[in-house]
Formats: sequence, C-alpha cells, structure tokens
Amino acid sequence: MFKPFEKISKQNFLIMVGLQVFFILLVWQLSPIGLIPQPTHVLSALGQLLGTRLLIDNLLVSLLLTLQAMLYSILITLVFSYLSVIPFFHSVAQFIVKCRYLTLTGLIFIFTLLTKDGSQLKLSLLIFGIVPFFTTSFLAVILRIPAQEYELCQTLGYSRWESLYEVIVIGKADQVFEMVRQNFAIAWMMITMVEGLNMSEGGIGALLIKYNKYNDLPHVIALQAIIFGIGLFFDYLLGLLRHWLFPYTMAHKK
Amino acid sequence: MTPYTKTEVLLQAKDLQLSYGNKCILHDINFSIRDIIRPGLQQGQVVSLVGRSGMGKTQLFRILSGLQKPTSGSIIIRERKPAEVSPGSIAVFQERAVRPGDMGVIFQNYYQFGWRTVRQSLLLAARRNKLLEGKEEDTMLQYAEQFDVIDILHRYPSQLSGGQQQRVSIIQQLLKGANFLLLDEPFSGLDVCVLDKVVELLQQVSLSDELKTLIIVSHDIATAVAISDTVFILGRTKGVEGSTLVRSIDLIERGLAWQKDVRREREFEETLEEIKACL
Ligand SMILES: Nc1ncnc2c1ncn2[C@@H]1O[C@H](COP(=O)(O)OP(=O)(O)OP(=O)(O)O)[C@@H](O)[C@H]1O
Ligand SMILES: [Mg+2]
Repeated sequence: MFKPFEKISKQNFLIMVGLQVFFILLVWQLSPIGLIPQPTHVLSALGQLLGTRLLIDNLLVSLLLTLQAMLYSILITLVFSYLSVIPFFHSVAQFIVKCRYLTLTGLIFIFTLLTKDGSQLKLSLLIFGIVPFFTTSFLAVILRIPAQEYELCQTLGYSRWESLYEVIVIGKADQVFEMVRQNFAIAWMMITMVEGLNMSEGGIGALLIKYNKYNDLPHVIALQAIIFGIGLFFDYLLGLLRHWLFPYTMAHKK
Repeated sequence: MTPYTKTEVLLQAKDLQLSYGNKCILHDINFSIRDIIRPGLQQGQVVSLVGRSGMGKTQLFRILSGLQKPTSGSIIIRERKPAEVSPGSIAVFQERAVRPGDMGVIFQNYYQFGWRTVRQSLLLAARRNKLLEGKEEDTMLQYAEQFDVIDILHRYPSQLSGGQQQRVSIIQQLLKGANFLLLDEPFSGLDVCVLDKVVELLQQVSLSDELKTLIIVSHDIATAVAISDTVFILGRTKGVEGSTLVRSIDLIERGLAWQKDVRREREFEETLEEIKACL
C-alpha cells in the first residue's frame, strides 16, 4: 500500500478510502476548533435542507442554467477548435484561450448593457467564462495529435478536409467528454458566482450567499457538501457516458 | 533459369537529395524499378532497400511515399490513365510525380486509427478504391479470410497483437488498390513462424498483379534478399556527408530470385557476404 506503482484491487481501494474518510471525520469531530461546526451539526443541517423544497428548487435552477451554458459552450468551443487548424481561425482560437485572463467581474457592466434580462446576463457570463477553459483543453488535445494520424489519412488519399473530419471530429469525439469533465468544476464554481449577481431567480449560489450572510456555517458546509457530491456525480456520469459511447476508450489488450 | 524480360520503368528516383538545415542525409540517389514480365505468370516486383541503422532508410521511405518532400530531385511513377482523361487514346499510361496516397504505405509500427474497429478501418480503405465499387464488403471479407484476421474484425487496434496489426495494415493498403506497396521494417519483432507467414504473404501479394511492386526497407538482409528480385544498398562514400546508393544487385541475373529454397544455395550466402561488406 505504500510502494510506488503498487496495484491494489478495487475493493481494497474502496475500503481504504472509506477508512480515510472516516478517520478525517473523526478527527474533525474531536478537534476543538470552536468556530467550525462539527460533522454532526452539518449532518443535521443537511438533513433539514434535504427535507425542504427550497433545496430542490434552487438546485434545479442552478443545474438547468449550468447545463444550458455547457451546451452552448461546447458548441462554440468545438466550432472554434475545429477551425483552429485553419490559419485564419488559429489566431481567433488563440485569443479565446487568452481570454481566461479576463476576470468576469470586470465585464459584468458591459454584459448588463448587452443583455435583456437577468437570466440572459447569467447565461452569457457563464458561457463567456467557460468557453476559454474548454477551448484551452480541446486545443491541447488537437496539438497532441501525432503526425502519424494525419499521415495515415494521407496514405489513404484523404483530402485535408477529410483528414480534419476523420482525425479531429470523429477521432477526438471522446475527448469532448473529457474536456467537459475536466472543466465541469470551473463551470460549477462560476455558477455560484454568477448567481450572486442576480439573486431574484434563486439558485444554489444565491442560497449559499444568503446563508453566508447570516453566518449559518452548518448550512453553508452542508450546501458545499451537496455541491461537491453533485460535482462528483457528474464527473462519474460523464466518464461512464464516454466509455459507453466510445467503447475504444476502454479497449485494453486481452 | 526462367525466361523473363524487364520492360517499362514503373518508378524512377531522380537525383534525390535530402538535408535538414546544413546536415545532408541523402544525396545523389538515382534508381529505377522496371516491370518484370515472365510468360505465363503475373509477376510483380520486389525491391529491397537495405542499409545500416541511421543510414536514412526511413527518410528515403518517406520520400518514396510522397509524405516527405525531398530537398531536391523527384520520384516519378507511371500510372494507368483514368479512362475519362483520354477516351480512345492508345497511350494508357502517364508519368507524373508521386503524391501522398499513390503508394500503399505500411509504417514501422502499423499505426491504425484507434477509434475505428478493424472492419471499419478496412472498409474506409476499400471505399477509396474505385475498382471495388459495390463490392467493398465482399472483397474486404475475402482478404480478411485469406490473411487470417476474420475473427478480429470487431476489435480495436489496441486489442491486437503486433502480427495482427501488421496484417491489418497490409490488407488496408491492398484494399486501397495502389500498385506500389512500401513496407518499413516488416520483419522486425516477429517470431520465426510468423516471419515465414509474412514472407509467404508478401510473395502472394507480389504475384497477385503484374504491376504490383513491393519496396521493402529492412535491416534483416537475409530475409529481404530471399524474397526480392533487386537489392539496393544505402551506404556512405568516403569523405562525403550523407548516404547514397552504393550498390544495386540484380538477383534475377544471379538466379536467386523467385526460388523457394534459395537460402540453401551457396551463391545466396556469397551474395549476403557481399552485401554485408558494402554496409
Ligand atoms: N527530423 C530530422 N531532423 C534532422 N535529422 C534527422 C531527422 N530525422 C532523421 N534524421 C537523421 O537522418 C538520418 C537517417 O535517419 P533514418 O531514420 O532514415 O535512419 P534509418 O536508416 O531508418 O535507421 P534505422 O535502421 O535505425 O531505422 C539519421 O542520422 C537521423 O539522425
Ligand atoms: Mg528506420
């Protein structure tokens, strides 16, 4: 268990993780830090949250917004990434990548002027925030493609457009899932921020801010746990979907 | 000895030169491959390109395949004119510079698209071949049967053994329908039994069409010589940077081509020694 590259069975791994989590919760429960609520308090807050419609409603609002933003972001990212192998669009794609360094907060005013209402503002801010990260991931995938993949296309007599289609569009379709998976965390993080801007429609971010305002730490941590859990769930779901849709990502020598 | 004649030039390399920056890799490479005709047979051509490691075999291979532009010089191939270009014309052949896609290329590591099953990869190639229109599937299955990959058609490349990958690559390039088949180190990493099978298979391919021409790049001199009709040797000349063809050996003249048990002959051994001396 303490040897580098040692392989352990899935079952043993799960047992180990279980013990580690239990140990941390135990230390947390027994440690005397007064301000931070203990796991039992968080648990009861969690129970209370799960019992109300408040959580479900706000969660649905957030999830819907995230999924919507992700969908648009994927489309925009793919279009620009596919085109990035054309010199004319390469610069555009590079610029999008660099937009990661723009902070959203500074752009809120401009976006407010450009959009009709609060939900549009949230959506466009999210998309603007996510696309650079998606594009960065996907361009890295395209850059890593070995010359051989294109050369095989050439020997098969493919035109350049056909090569683009075979190697990048078809060949890297599974990587779209990986890209979403890797950057889901960022989208999830931005949603809490964006929802703070327009609290009227609610959402898990709005809820979080409300609890923070009242210094209701058990509820804040419980919400965090829920956000964390949903993140993990989507991570798992996307991985599963990828293997299911693209069986070759699982193919190993038999 | 069997009667034969060498007729038209099928491929010609003219003054090939390749440098990276100031570093000359290949210089003054000239050779041609002629159509060999044997009465009563569909005799293709098998040419070996041998040389020590680092002599530029792979670079020459890439130039021949059209994937790499030489610094100067050219590769001219003769091809059947498409029917629509010259209806009713007597000259059925035309000469032109090689382009990527003209040659069947089998890379050293038998790369295949990782996201395509064997079946899909083979069909992709078959659909490129106008002569197979309407019977892509049948032809593919025929080859798969013949080359013993019928049971693995549903697998992905990462699930294949090295030998299987090689056969898939060969079938793929055969389905594409090119007359020229370039192979980089087809004998490396194979055990003795599989090696015999590959040799047999290549011979089969060379006898499948009058114009089929195999160009084999290898440092397994014995195996390469045993199935070839011509050997080109890449080597250095004193005082000059880069490699060139230092020797070419016509194995037909020596009576060493197209023989099953050629390895047992004394002249075969002598030829091997001669080649080794040139390396
Ligand atoms: N991209 C490159 N830039 C500069 N030099 C290169 C490049 N590629 C290959 N070379 C040089 O060209 C020479 C020939 O390389 P090549 O791969 O063709 O050798 P080879 O005969 O195929 O050797 P081996 O039998 O080991 O495969 C080598 O000296 C190599 O260092
Ligand atoms: Mg080589």
